Amino acid sequence: MTRESPLLPVSDAREAALFFVIGALCFLAALAALTVRGTYVAAAAWGDQIEGEVTVILEDTDMRTAAEVASDIQNLSSVVDARILSRDEIEALLAPSFGPGGLPEGLPVPILIAVQADMSAGDPVPDIERLLRAADLAGDVGAHAGFAGHVRRALSVLRMVGLGAVGLLAATAISVIAFATHAALLARRDIVNVLHLSGAEDRFIAGLFARRFWGLASQAGIGGALAALMVTALIVFSASGRAGVEAELLPRLSLDIWDFLILSSAPVTAGLAARGAARLTVLRALKEMR
Amino acid sequence: MSRVRFDFDDDSAVRMDEVGLNYHDGEDILRDVGLTLPKGSFSFLTGPSGAGKSTLLKLMYLALSPSRGDICLFGRSTRLLKRRDLVTLRRRIGVVFQEFRLLDHLSAFENVALPLRVAGHRLATYQNEVEDLLRWVGLSDRIDARPSELSGGEQQRVAIARALINKPDLLIADEPTGNVDPEMSRKILRLFMELNKRFGTTVFIATHDLALVDEFDRPAYEIHLGRLRGRRRGAAA
Ligand SMILES: Nc1ncnc2c1ncn2[C@@H]1O[C@H](COP(=O)(O)OP(=O)(O)O)[C@@H](O)[C@H]1O
Ligand SMILES: [Mg+2]
Repeated sequence: MTRESPLLPVSDAREAALFFVIGALCFLAALAALTVRGTYVAAAAWGDQIEGEVTVILEDTDMRTAAEVASDIQNLSSVVDARILSRDEIEALLAPSFGPGGLPEGLPVPILIAVQADMSAGDPVPDIERLLRAADLAGDVGAHAGFAGHVRRALSVLRMVGLGAVGLLAATAISVIAFATHAALLARRDIVNVLHLSGAEDRFIAGLFARRFWGLASQAGIGGALAALMVTALIVFSASGRAGVEAELLPRLSLDIWDFLILSSAPVTAGLAARGAARLTVLRALKEMR
Repeated sequence: MSRVRFDFDDDSAVRMDEVGLNYHDGEDILRDVGLTLPKGSFSFLTGPSGAGKSTLLKLMYLALSPSRGDICLFGRSTRLLKRRDLVTLRRRIGVVFQEFRLLDHLSAFENVALPLRVAGHRLATYQNEVEDLLRWVGLSDRIDARPSELSGGEQQRVAIARALINKPDLLIADEPTGNVDPEMSRKILRLFMELNKRFGTTVFIATHDLALVDEFDRPAYEIHLGRLRGRRRGAAA
């Protein structure tokens, strides 16, 4: 028989309910944060990509000349890759206009060079235009940067909305946790009172409850974060089978170091919120007791 | 009246000056209470149920602040004391609450040990003391029982042991014989008197059992219409 059982009762139904509430809130907040971040990362990557895309359309020329031009473009310092699209790729690009049956036989198809530029090394468009003039070729250089600007603006709005939503959810979670902790503690007022009248110091009593609710909330938070991790892993797993534009626009849930930071901040935040609320509630109750 | 008093040569355990109390701005429960309990004294507080006995004791064991007046414990005014000093004073006072206030998730042993534990003492230093005290109040075979497994009288004796474990200078007991038969009542009072005689503990007992008060030839006060007055012996008859 132990002669030093914990000064606070092990648990009660009210605390089980509190545990569930905190776990569920942490799950939602962590999942929301991961999803917002994943969506932002995917959209930003997509924006980077189209910003660096340049398409060169060549008319009235042969494949050999086009290949030389492509290799000249490839040698530009601001160009990562330049490649002539095959007829199949062009057909795929034009399929929305011509239907899946393929292009009509004999239709003249321009030669397209897809250029992937590194915009940080300078804009390659003037250089490419100079190359075409030097080779005396008729052609058109189309950059997607203007379109990318729209994507950028949409992204900054997305970031603000996402951060706002996650912030709001986190604030709600913190106040619900604080309130629920406060409610759970009211049932313990008798114990606070007995400890107080037995000569315990305020910070001793507050410390007991702060530790108890820190443990309860951080464990519940770990449970919620683990559930969010599992759901995320499931999404990553099920999305990894797909390819193309579709997958590109899915939230990019990579589960990197940042995602783990987000996941581990949930239990820490929940623990701190419950701990702070417990301390404050107990100290306030003690002040009323004289 | 508004200054802290340090009457270190004052040999009273408790002194109340013109103390008044009302709960939440309600009617006065106590008014103009003046009371001095000399160190080492043993006295009773009587009065019908609802007279304000428990309220007066709560003021004395620092669970309530007076609405008016001042309470000095061991020569120190408690009015402007810091919380830390209030704790120090509380540790010199043992209280037997009318409703016991035992913690049901702790055993009899742990309940009795509570005041030592919250003061930071280690189990090894008090284990024997607690067991001896529980034996002394006749609970040697109930040491590990929970309060809910004990009878009212047994719970009362656990509460008494908890009040005594700190070797208090002042013992305050609120209806300590309320839940036990007359024979056990006498045993408990004799135990308090032994404590008073042996260690010089100041004892103050609230009870509505006037026959018991008359049987033990000690000073007694009574609360009448919110005021405190001395009670003459034999008034029960
Ligand atoms: N916390 C409280 N709030 C308001 N009124 C109270 C409180 N405690 C006691 N009272 C009232 O004060 C009066 C005295 O109560 P109490 O001191 O318990 O009397 P006694 O111990 O003599 O039976 C009663 O009328 C009671 O209803
Ligand atoms: Mg009473």
